[in-house]
Amino acid sequence: MPAELSPIGWLLMICSLTFVVGLTGWCYYRVLSAPKEPAKPAKDFHSA
Amino acid sequence: MSQQKQEWGSRLGVILAVSGSAVGLGNFLRFPGQAAQHGGGAFMIPYFCALLFLGIPIGWAEWTMGRYGGRKGFHSAPAIMGVVGRGAIARYLGIVGVLIPLAVYFYYVFIEGWCLAYAWEYAKAIFGGTAMGIDPKAAIDVQSASSATFFTNFTGKASDGVMLGGSIVESVVFWAIVFALNVWFVFRGLSKGIEKFCSWAMPAMAVCALIVLFRVLTLPPNPTNPDQNVLTGLGYMWNADFDALKDPGTWLAAAGQIFFSLSVGFGVIINYASYMKRKDDLVLSGLTASATNELFEVGFGGMITLTSAFIFLGATGTAAAVATGSFGLGFTTLPVVFAHMPAGNIIGMLWFFMLFLAAITSSLSMLQPSMAFVEEALGTTRLKATAIITVVALIGSLWVIWFSKDLAALGTIDNWVGTFLIVVLAAVQVICFGWVFGMERGMKEAHEGAALRIPRFMHFIIKFVAPAYLLTMIGVFCIKDDNLPAWIRSASNNPVERNTLILIGLVIAFLCILTHIGTKRWRAAGLDVDGNSPPND
Repeated sequence: MPAELSPIGWLLMICSLTFVVGLTGWCYYRVLSAPKEPAKPAKDFHSA
Repeated sequence: MSQQKQEWGSRLGVILAVSGSAVGLGNFLRFPGQAAQHGGGAFMIPYFCALLFLGIPIGWAEWTMGRYGGRKGFHSAPAIMGVVGRGAIARYLGIVGVLIPLAVYFYYVFIEGWCLAYAWEYAKAIFGGTAMGIDPKAAIDVQSASSATFFTNFTGKASDGVMLGGSIVESVVFWAIVFALNVWFVFRGLSKGIEKFCSWAMPAMAVCALIVLFRVLTLPPNPTNPDQNVLTGLGYMWNADFDALKDPGTWLAAAGQIFFSLSVGFGVIINYASYMKRKDDLVLSGLTASATNELFEVGFGGMITLTSAFIFLGATGTAAAVATGSFGLGFTTLPVVFAHMPAGNIIGMLWFFMLFLAAITSSLSMLQPSMAFVEEALGTTRLKATAIITVVALIGSLWVIWFSKDLAALGTIDNWVGTFLIVVLAAVQVICFGWVFGMERGMKEAHEGAALRIPRFMHFIIKFVAPAYLLTMIGVFCIKDDNLPAWIRSASNNPVERNTLILIGLVIAFLCILTHIGTKRWRAAGLDVDGNSPPND
């Protein structure tokens, strides 16, 4: 008879998922909350 | 120089492009098989150790070398390796960083076509008929045989030349479509082509994966065998066999999976990072791209593939499917699973469309390094570089399609280039970074513009642990009887394999000539090809 997910199996699965979801979420939070680069000044705007 | 300057449009864009390159079929088809064969949930312990202590640090080294090369005005692996490794030897070894993505593209684009064609088959089946000729009411053995026959005919596994023998074959039509799509997006350039495509393809892939995951986790128990349900399916994948951790093979398999999954040593990251600006945070970008790859691999690959297979096929059927490898699991077994699943045609369509997106975001990254190399070496336009690389890729890809019997040409390139040379390139890169470029200098460069600091112990890992591990891996490859010695024996007995290696040799010769021409041009233009002075920016 196939074995159901054991308590250790649950633990490893939940820890693994929490780790990858948490790490990804934290990384994207840091990326998206970083200050935006200042817009480049228009070159040669007053030239000619 | 007539080259058009390429750059990333946004920081998120480069992260999604690198993540797209890393997330591929292996995340969904190879990872679950590796985990199930090496201790189930216990496999995650060596797996995460390898991620933290090998994958991410080697990735950071590659990102750093790429951006440093970009600051010196170079974007191709040979030129960047010449700068970082300070001389001609490293420059010519850097050719492997162009060869790997280009040669892997020869066959990967063919597999990508299968994914789109399978998605199309399911889309048609939604409106009536059966997908892959599988009768939903037949016994599982009959369905498996139908699915295997469909796959054999579809890929031309039965004999050479059948795919291009005159009649129109569906898989060749889809190959042509995806080949043209790849060329078009890469020709459009970094920002307008690759970045733009990955910016919608990655979220779309995540949505498809979420829908499939929801369907799998809400599947009712198998009506004929209620013991085969979601919980026992998850048990098959995640229940831990800690004895497997005593086997060194488990630790090597975990490190190998991380290594191939993250696309380190593939020649792509070094090229993509070369377009980053000096003040871009490459530490966070590298970590985010790795984390995204892990989300798809563990979060989706680890939850969907074997769980669904177990519910309908049981332990014996799933183990047999895993033993057939990624192609057997993905293209023969899963269609049988979808035939039993409520709303199976819709889920099958979403699943294979998701695999197609995973594949195309990877294949786009395979063309870009060689395109950048041709542009840089010959000082030519994007259009001419596209034309040259398209011709080379067409020759290689048609070769793979023609010599389709037992997928011999495909398997030869996958073994020698897509497996062995990746480890070699990673070893060359990490030795150049840690020992020639220097750890202190390397970390200073990596921390330019970085909000995160790379922990000090990672210096030790990059300098000592990573090269030792990679050299051990190469040693095991060369000595272990079922790897390199078996491949050499097989190539000496099989003309297709031997001629495929000759084809690879010709591509290497072509890249050597380009490197020679490029080096002359770069010197004449006053560029610091041997990395003797710091960047001017």
